[in-house]
Amino acid sequence: MASSTQDTDKKLTKHDITMLGLRSAFLQSAFSYERMQAGGWAWSQVPTWKKIFGSDKKALSEAMQDNMEFINTSPPLVSILMGLLTSLEEKRVDRQTIRGLKNGLFGPMAGIGDAIYWFTLMPIVGGISASFASKGNILGPIIFFIVYIGIFLCRIPFAHLGYNLGVKAIDVIQDNSEIIARVATIMGLTVIGALISSYVSLSLKVKIGTVSLQKDFLDKVFPNILPLAFTFFLYWLLKKKVSPIVLIGVVFVLCILCSFLGIM
Amino acid sequence: MSITLAQGLGLAIFAVLAGLDSWLEVFYIFRPIISCTIAGLILGDLRLGVIAGGLTELAFAGLTPAGGTQPPNPAVCGIMTVVIAHTTNVAPATAIGLSLPFAMLMQYILLMFYSIFSVFMPVMDKAAKEADTKKFSSVPFLIMGIVSIAFFVVIFLSSYAAQAPMAALVKAMPAWLIHGFELAGGALPAVGFAMLLKVLLRVEYVPYLLLGFVVACFINFSNVLPAAVIGIVFAMIEFFRDKKNKKLQEQIDEMKEAGISGGGEEDGI
Repeated sequence: MASSTQDTDKKLTKHDITMLGLRSAFLQSAFSYERMQAGGWAWSQVPTWKKIFGSDKKALSEAMQDNMEFINTSPPLVSILMGLLTSLEEKRVDRQTIRGLKNGLFGPMAGIGDAIYWFTLMPIVGGISASFASKGNILGPIIFFIVYIGIFLCRIPFAHLGYNLGVKAIDVIQDNSEIIARVATIMGLTVIGALISSYVSLSLKVKIGTVSLQKDFLDKVFPNILPLAFTFFLYWLLKKKVSPIVLIGVVFVLCILCSFLGIM
Repeated sequence: MSITLAQGLGLAIFAVLAGLDSWLEVFYIFRPIISCTIAGLILGDLRLGVIAGGLTELAFAGLTPAGGTQPPNPAVCGIMTVVIAHTTNVAPATAIGLSLPFAMLMQYILLMFYSIFSVFMPVMDKAAKEADTKKFSSVPFLIMGIVSIAFFVVIFLSSYAAQAPMAALVKAMPAWLIHGFELAGGALPAVGFAMLLKVLLRVEYVPYLLLGFVVACFINFSNVLPAAVIGIVFAMIEFFRDKKNKKLQEQIDEMKEAGISGGGEEDGI
């Protein structure tokens, strides 16, 4: 086809890619259960496509329609995927290839993104800044804010990264995706273990004779054993397909009941 | 202390910003540690806002939308925790429990939105077919507008307009009920952690979970950084081992191939 002539005409500047990275913030602007992020995903890229396709309304329409398909990926990482696919759009790579890459990559990226951002960074940054804040230190919220502004700004280099690496980036991610996910999970779980002991607080008031069940027994066996056991109990219930909303309700009612009966 | 109209409007406007942010997940100002602090600033009690922010952030630590279910809205929970603590003088830890009904209300509204907004998708499909970018972008704008209005109304009503009935409600509450809310504040993070574990935990990872737990139990330190560093240590060890194993595996595969083509049985060991 005409692909050899298209190869040389570079329509996007560095500025365009930077703007793409910033606009990726609108990924979830049209979120719905039916197609998740599709509407926002397509909308954030429309200005880029307009520039690439110019007056070619048919190509623009095809790109818009293709990208209205279901997508659900990691918001902080999405600009990598956008940059990557944009480099392919600019070279007018076959529509099916772009579509296939999009569908192949958004899922694994969602997994990696969740592991890094929600399960690793959020507990660490949130935990550290909250431990400052709960003592009344304004540094807590400030640290949190600065870190997350940094994470937002990373969308710009990420967009360039995706764009520049083009097809090569896929090899890198696919080669290492298993190791990346594994290592992030290990780190995340170590931190979650620590958080269970410091954030979940349960202690019994019950006394048997003069022996306090909590102070004289449980604390001597293993401190914080109750929070760990309770967390695993809830985990077991979730595995049994009990809905989290039901669990929240049950925990609420249980706590109030225990308070009323003087157990806790 | 009561809330003035100006403060009520200020809170509602901030709720729009934080609410949109919770919709888009961009700047994370919707997290309680920020939303509490700003709410405290608006109410003229920054210290209360910061402390409530720390406590509420801890309560929300494990509750992430990543698992697929929408947790109670952290922006609304943060703002209402400070509002309740400020107006009724209850301790911030108790206020978290009292703010949860408001956060649940917002969560239900958002869940409803997620379903209802599906009907807008065909409109975007049609605009995409016609390459009509103006009509295409009107849908995200409309959706974000609806979300903004919802956050404005919920926070304005619950912080300013319905403030008096709320205060009366809290005053009428017996001590055991308030203590119950306090307990719930300590127990609810377990639900969030259980949700995280459901997504992440496999038998091979249990040692790391227990390691982090034990470290935090016995190292008397105000945050989880020591556990995080130990986590990094193990992550690095595993990372290099994985890499090495991968290489060894490749070598073994190569040798096997060479062995098969060579046909020699004695170098099989």
